[in-house]
Amino acid sequence: MSATEKAMEAFVHETGGWVAAQLEACTRCGMCADACHFYQATGNPEYAPVWKMELLRRAYEQRFTLVGGAKLALGLDKAITDEELAHWGDLNYEACTVCNKCSMVCPMGIDIGSLLHGMRAGLAAAGAIPTDLAAAVTKQVNEGSPLGMTDKVWDQRLEWVADEWEVEIPRDVKGATTLVVFSSIEVMKFPTNVAAIAKVLNKAGEKWTVSSKAREIVNFGFYEGNEEHTKLFLNRVLEGAKELGVKRIVVTECGHAYDALRWHAANWIPEANDFEVIHITGVLGELVGDGRIKLKPGAFDNDGTITFHDACKIQRKGGHIQEPRDILKILAPNSFKEMTPNREESVCCGGGGGVIAVKAADPVRYASFELKMAQVNSVGAKTVTMTCSNCRLQYTDSVEHFNLDWKVTGLAQMVADALVE
Amino acid sequence: MSSQAVLEFARGPFFYFALLFMLFGLAYRLFNVISLGWNKDRVVPMGSKSKGVVITFLKAFLIWPFIPWVKDTFNRNPLIYIGGGLFHLSLFVVIILGTPHMLVWKSLIGLGWPTLPLPVVDWMSAVGIIAMVILLINRRIHPVLKLISGPAEFVAWLFVFLPMITGYMMTHHIGGSYEALYARHMISVDVLMIWIPLSRISHFVFYFFSRAIHGQEFGKRGVAV
Repeated sequence: MSATEKAMEAFVHETGGWVAAQLEACTRCGMCADACHFYQATGNPEYAPVWKMELLRRAYEQRFTLVGGAKLALGLDKAITDEELAHWGDLNYEACTVCNKCSMVCPMGIDIGSLLHGMRAGLAAAGAIPTDLAAAVTKQVNEGSPLGMTDKVWDQRLEWVADEWEVEIPRDVKGATTLVVFSSIEVMKFPTNVAAIAKVLNKAGEKWTVSSKAREIVNFGFYEGNEEHTKLFLNRVLEGAKELGVKRIVVTECGHAYDALRWHAANWIPEANDFEVIHITGVLGELVGDGRIKLKPGAFDNDGTITFHDACKIQRKGGHIQEPRDILKILAPNSFKEMTPNREESVCCGGGGGVIAVKAADPVRYASFELKMAQVNSVGAKTVTMTCSNCRLQYTDSVEHFNLDWKVTGLAQMVADALVE
Repeated sequence: MSSQAVLEFARGPFFYFALLFMLFGLAYRLFNVISLGWNKDRVVPMGSKSKGVVITFLKAFLIWPFIPWVKDTFNRNPLIYIGGGLFHLSLFVVIILGTPHMLVWKSLIGLGWPTLPLPVVDWMSAVGIIAMVILLINRRIHPVLKLISGPAEFVAWLFVFLPMITGYMMTHHIGGSYEALYARHMISVDVLMIWIPLSRISHFVFYFFSRAIHGQEFGKRGVAV
C-alpha cells in the first residue's frame, strides 16, 4: 500500500459524522488564521489552521460527497499525492501545537484542534512525520520513555530525588488510593517538581504511590496521531494502575498526556473509566480547598510581579482554569497579575503538541514565543508560573535563547515551597 | 420570449423546482453526514455538556455578532468581523423583515409577521451589497483568503450577490421594465437555491452541528464558552 493510500485509509477511519459535520460547516472565512500564534508570528498564510487541515477536507470530499467525487472525475480536484503529504507533515508537526485557540475564534464553533489531530492521524499513517519525532516515538515504544528514562534511569532518578530533597516517594504500593504518573520531562529536567508534588501529597496525608510499570505519562503516540501507539502507551499506565488497585490516576505536568488519558482514553479503552483521572492542578485545588494543606498567605508577594501561563491542554482543553487562580490569590494576592488574553482564550507557549521535539521547528517556535514575551512584558512580570512541564520546557529554553531575566517556575513547586509546616 | 413569460416561468415552475432541489439536496447532504455514524462518547464529563451547548448558542446569537471586539482577534482583522457581521444582518433584515419577502414566506408556510419600513430595509440591503463587495476584495488580497479560495468560493459569492443586486435594482427601478427586473431577480434567486446544496453556502445547516459540538466539548471540560 502506498503512503497516500495509508493516509487516505486513516483519514477515512477518522471521519465519522462528528468530523464530517464540522468539515461541512467550514465557510473558508479564514478567521482562524488570526488565532494561530504561528501565523501571527510569521505571517505565513500556510499556517492558517483551515489550510493545515486541507488534506483531511479533500479526502473527505473526494471519498464521501457527490460533489467531491464529481470534481475528482472532472479533473477539478486531484488525488492527494505523497509530496503533498510530506508538505502537510511539515506544516502540521512544525507549526501547530493543537492548542485549539482557533476553535475559540471560529464563527461556526468548529473544534479545529480535533480535526487537526485527525489530520495528524493520516500524516502519521503515511509516515509523513519529522524524523526526530518518529525517533522519540520509537524510543518510547522500546524503552518506555521518549527521553531515555529506562527502568534503570527511572529507578536511579527517583532515588536521587528522594535523597536530595529528603522526601519520601512511595513506590509500587498495592492498595494505595492514588497513582501518580510523572512525565519524563519532570523526572529528567525538572526533578524539583517531582520532589514538590511528593512533599505536597505526603503533607496532605494522601495514600499515594508511583508505579514502576506506569512510570511515564508522556504520550508521543498522541503527539504523532497514531492510534495504536497512543493506546499502547495509555495501556501501560492503565495496567500499572490496575495492578496496584488504585482508585484514581493523577497526571502530572504534561498537557498532551492529560488530554489523551482524561479526554480520549475511555473512547479507545473502556477500562479507562475504572479510574478517576485527574490533573495535579485539580488535586492541588482540591487539597487547598478542603484545607488538607495550608499555604502561607502572601508567601510570594515579595518577588516582583508574578503571572500565570495558561496551558492549552490543561486550562483551555482541560478545564483547570480556576484552581491556579485560587491558589495564586493566596500565595501572591498583591503581586499576581493576569496576562491578556488569558484563561480559555490564552495564547499558546508555542512548544506543545510535540513541536519542541522537532528541531526543524526551532525558528517558528522561537518566533511564536515572542508573542508570549510581549504578553508577559506588558504586565511587567518577573516570574511566570504554569502547570505544564512542556510549556515550562519551552519557557526555560526560550528564556535562554532570548536572554531574558525571568524566573520560570511551576505551580506545584510554589505550593510546596509555601506549605505551612 | 417576453419578460412577462420569463417572469411567469421564474416565479412559477422554475421557482418550485429550485426550492425542491434545495430542500432535497440539503436533506441528502444531511443524511450523508449523519450516515457516517456517530461514536458514543464514553468519557466521564467534568462539567455539563448541555449547559455548554446552551451557553455557546446564546453567546453566538446574542453577544458575539454585536460586540465582536470581545475577541482579541478582532483587532487583527476587523474587516472580516464587521463585513461578515453586516452581511448576515442585512440578509436577516431583508429576507425576514422586508415586507415583500415576508409575503413570500406567508404564501409558502401560511404565516406572516410585522415587518420594517421600506427605507430601513432598503438601506440595509445597500449595506449588505457594499459588505459583499468589500469581502470580495478582501478575499482577493488577504494572503490567507487568497490561498484558501478557489473557483468554488467565487462562484458561490456571485450566486449570492446576484439576488442582492437584482433585488436592489428592482426596488429602485434601475435597468429595465418592472417585469424584466423582477424576472432577473427571480432567476438569480432560483439559481442560488439550486447552488446552495452544491456548495458551502449550505453552512447554515451544519452550523447547528458544529456549534453544538463546540458547546459539548467545552461544556464537558467545565469550560463554559
